[in-house]
Amino acid sequence: MTANGTETVTPGGEQLVVCTDAARTYGTGPGAVVAVHGASCAVTAGAGIAVVGPSGSGKSTLLHLMAGLDRPTAGRVAHPGLPEGSLPRHIGVVFQGPSLLPPLTAVENVALPLRIDGVAQAEADARAFAALEELGLEALASKLPDELSAGQAQRVAVARVLARRPRLILADEPTGQLDRESAGQVMGVLLAAAATLGAAVLVSTHDMRVADALPTRWSMADGRLVLPDGTAEEDRAEEDRAEERLAGKRRAGERQEREAR
Amino acid sequence: MIGMWLSGLLRVRGGRLLATASGVMVAVALLSLLGGFLSQTRATMTSQSVRTVSVDWQVQVADGADPNAVLSTVRGLDGTKAALPVGYAGTSGLEARTGGTLQTTGPGSVLGLPADYARTFPGEIRVLAGHGQGVLLAQQTAANLHAAPGDTIAVKRAGLPAVRLRVDGVVELPLADSLFQKVGAPPQSQPSAPPDNIVLLPQRTWHTVFDPLAVPRPDLVRTQIHTLRGHGLPPDPAAAYTAATGSAHNAEVRLAGAGLVGDNLGAVLDAARADALYAQLLFLFLGVPGSVLAAALTWAVAQAGAGRRRKEQALLRTRGATVRQLVGLAAVEAVVVAVAGTAGGLALAALVGRVALHTAGVPLSWALAASAVGFGVAGATVLLPARYDARRATVASGRTAVARRPAPHPAWWAMAAVLLAGSLAVFRATSTTTYALVLAPEGTASLSVDYWAFAGPALLWAGGAVLAWLLADLLLRRGRPLLQRLFRPAAGALAGTVAAGVSRQRGAVLRSVVLLALACAFAASTAVFNSTYRQQAEVDAVLTNGADVTVTTSTNGATGTADAAKLAGVPGVQHVEPVQHRFAYVGADLQDLYGVQPKSIVSAGRLQDAYFSGGTASGLMDRLARRPDALLVSAETAHDFQLRPGDQVRLRLTDARTGGPRTIPFHFAGVVKEFPTAPKDSFLVANSSYIARTTGSAAVGTLLVDTGGTAQQSVAARARTLLGPNAHVTDLPSSRTVIGSSLTAVDLAGLTRVELGFALVIAAAAGGLVLALGLAERRRTLALASVLGARGRQLSGFVWSEAALVAVAGGACGAVLGWSLSQMLVKVLSGVFDPPPSQVAVPWAYLLATAAVTVAALAAAAWAAVRHARRPPLTELREL
Repeated sequence: MTANGTETVTPGGEQLVVCTDAARTYGTGPGAVVAVHGASCAVTAGAGIAVVGPSGSGKSTLLHLMAGLDRPTAGRVAHPGLPEGSLPRHIGVVFQGPSLLPPLTAVENVALPLRIDGVAQAEADARAFAALEELGLEALASKLPDELSAGQAQRVAVARVLARRPRLILADEPTGQLDRESAGQVMGVLLAAAATLGAAVLVSTHDMRVADALPTRWSMADGRLVLPDGTAEEDRAEEDRAEERLAGKRRAGERQEREAR
Repeated sequence: MIGMWLSGLLRVRGGRLLATASGVMVAVALLSLLGGFLSQTRATMTSQSVRTVSVDWQVQVADGADPNAVLSTVRGLDGTKAALPVGYAGTSGLEARTGGTLQTTGPGSVLGLPADYARTFPGEIRVLAGHGQGVLLAQQTAANLHAAPGDTIAVKRAGLPAVRLRVDGVVELPLADSLFQKVGAPPQSQPSAPPDNIVLLPQRTWHTVFDPLAVPRPDLVRTQIHTLRGHGLPPDPAAAYTAATGSAHNAEVRLAGAGLVGDNLGAVLDAARADALYAQLLFLFLGVPGSVLAAALTWAVAQAGAGRRRKEQALLRTRGATVRQLVGLAAVEAVVVAVAGTAGGLALAALVGRVALHTAGVPLSWALAASAVGFGVAGATVLLPARYDARRATVASGRTAVARRPAPHPAWWAMAAVLLAGSLAVFRATSTTTYALVLAPEGTASLSVDYWAFAGPALLWAGGAVLAWLLADLLLRRGRPLLQRLFRPAAGALAGTVAAGVSRQRGAVLRSVVLLALACAFAASTAVFNSTYRQQAEVDAVLTNGADVTVTTSTNGATGTADAAKLAGVPGVQHVEPVQHRFAYVGADLQDLYGVQPKSIVSAGRLQDAYFSGGTASGLMDRLARRPDALLVSAETAHDFQLRPGDQVRLRLTDARTGGPRTIPFHFAGVVKEFPTAPKDSFLVANSSYIARTTGSAAVGTLLVDTGGTAQQSVAARARTLLGPNAHVTDLPSSRTVIGSSLTAVDLAGLTRVELGFALVIAAAAGGLVLALGLAERRRTLALASVLGARGRQLSGFVWSEAALVAVAGGACGAVLGWSLSQMLVKVLSGVFDPPPSQVAVPWAYLLATAAVTVAALAAAAWAAVRHARRPPLTELREL
């Protein structure tokens, strides 16, 4: 197994994102919180990766760094296979929570990124409707986000990503707030659409069923990214140990809190 | 829990709480200030009115009653400070031989004054020439007789030989109207003017001359007891009037028919109480809308955070909070807002009052009332909506960010139509000439106010607000294609998306538009009313004084061209306009006749079209210029004599060549309602050249001196020095302080500054603050758009489009409503204007400044929102 600091490249084609000792620290001084320690990794075109780890392990922050939505406080994140000036056009992000614009209907939400990219109104609307249709959501096209269930809203968010035909899809706990059935539906359409587009997919999740749907698995614990180089059993054992360490820390923290009271 | 919630509120929502408390503060401050001003104004009106009275009571001794007994009773009354007997006698005529000619006059009055009369009643007699003791002639009488100190006059007595007396001085009697009132007669039976011929004699001389007349003609000789009263009156004019008239009635009861009280003090307080009521109405018409607007602003600010509050309530409910607990937490917020807003408002009122209105502080009663309003506003805007949500909303609905907003019920359109139609009906009713907002029947203690008049502006405010809301809603709901086109310059390709967003989240935009419209309307209507009031006060002053500086004849009736030349050389004088002043008989009616130079009088006399009817000032002066014998008469004269244009009018004027009367033909050319220096009742205007030719005298009675509006008092002082005591010189600034009602005498400048300042603040807050809070609710939308790749310019497009929409829609609705309200206010409150304005005065500088400040506030709010939107979107989303 290779720990942080050693670059491991997922086998495949062109590199879309390369992280080199990328770290993200929030705040300064003694109260500073390190969300991601120097992570080194790369995502190539066509890859399917699950980043697993418990809540608070730094998965979301890593995805945000990769998407260019956040900047590393140390190290660097590069996008060698993507034009640097138009990352949002080529990297689609599915967020954990509600991410639809409240005053726009489903189809307007899906068309918005296309309009931002300068696609003509008629074409943007047609592509947006086609994306909804592809996900079986055409009946919801004129609904407002507040009129959708959480699962429906998340599927519309996926459609919004797909409509832009990105080369890399970063999905941050896309099923985190969904029931099992809805989660299955969302992951199904996400992976199917990614396959159709030939886009690389990186999904952060703490749900092993979701992770199992992807061929490659990275794990994160305490902000440290661990990339696989051993057997599947060894990797899973390492993940279990990481979870146990985190659970131990939580228990210790709770104990201290009780004693303090 | 409450302590924890409060600390969290102050920490996290401090800015929003401060904004809400600021709304309460503005409402409280405006009410306190206006209330304080109202109290002070009333007290000022009372004291100013009392100051204008010199003789408080003129007690007429009844026929057959003993004057000494009446004098003794009056002196014994509570509150009497001094009482002096004054003899009144009628003379059948006066005669004087001066400069080799004999002048005679018609009947007149001769007063017998005790030695200390002038000292006891200092406002009654003003010495113009000679000294104030001995035989004194009133100015007009001296002019009629061509008499000066040292000359001898003959006082004719009915049935007795005339008495010759040597003149010691010439005096002016500023309060002649009340001095020669018919005591006990109703107002309509009072003489329209004091006698033309008045002689004042020392009491002893008067008794010598007229005691013999009292026996054969007791109707021509009578005695009055002139009384000075202690003025410990209540500050409110209505209460002071009641107290003063009560004392007068009490005196009459005690006199038991031996005397009748001419209550001068009660008469001026009677006028003042009507003016005080007008001041109160001004407060209601101008102040209350401002306070209501400030309350609406508070509501809008509170409402801008309603979505967030509902989410918090939903969260608390999922954690098990009860409705009672939720309402309790909202009550804590309301109390914080109320206490901070009320305290701030009272402090602001005290500060502004001291600086702008020079008031000592906010009266306790008004402070309490304003505080109650502050707490009421906080309760209504913070607590009640939260209580409603806590009781009605579900957890799911509380989490809803944007719900579909239905179109307003058609009944709202009907309501707007009814409100506006009602307002129009009241407006039409108040436009009639017989309409009077305040009716103050003489002699009765009660005043009646036509409270229906309030309905006009109130209905217009309400109807305008509802209509602005409906129209803005219609535009946002159905006019999306139009909005898309309007937004394209700012939002580019995202114009459609912005239009859709604004349309669906139109609640916040509607609040901003309606509030901005109301604030603009308030600022515009207040400013227009105040500037029209100032304009008319100036017109009144100019009408009364005639010009910047006015010189009138004293004794010889002929301030001539030599005087005009002297005045023209005084530094600061731009033009001197001579105006002849004669007296002419129209039938049996003696009227003032003004001879003018038609070509120059329009600008020199600042003549306004409103002074004439049937034509403009220039048009009627043109008629005069074209036809030398043209004559303008008052509407009353035209009506009484059934005159039609071109009719011949024969006036009797004194011919200077013969000294006797001469009938001169004129032709009726138009109606004049007001003229500089002219009395309010009937008078005539004609060509000075024609009068000079036909009467053989070019003597000028009045010189109107134009100083360009500056240095009037120094020019007046110089004129007095140049022309000597025979010239009566008055200046505009001094006239402003003595003319008009007690209301116009009250300086409204401070109040105007305060009102306009508040209007400006409310307009800026309605635009900027409400937009800023509305945009703050869109931070999530902007952050998500940024995450999706929207660039800075595209994000700015969202914000600037909304700001432009609010500015244009709110400004347009506000301009229309403001214009309508201005017309309405000026019409409904026409009673405070003297003379009524022919058109409203629009203070463009203030309106442009208000527009600029409001646009700047909107731009600042938009700029702050754009700046916020350019923050890293994840930071933004994490905070939301």
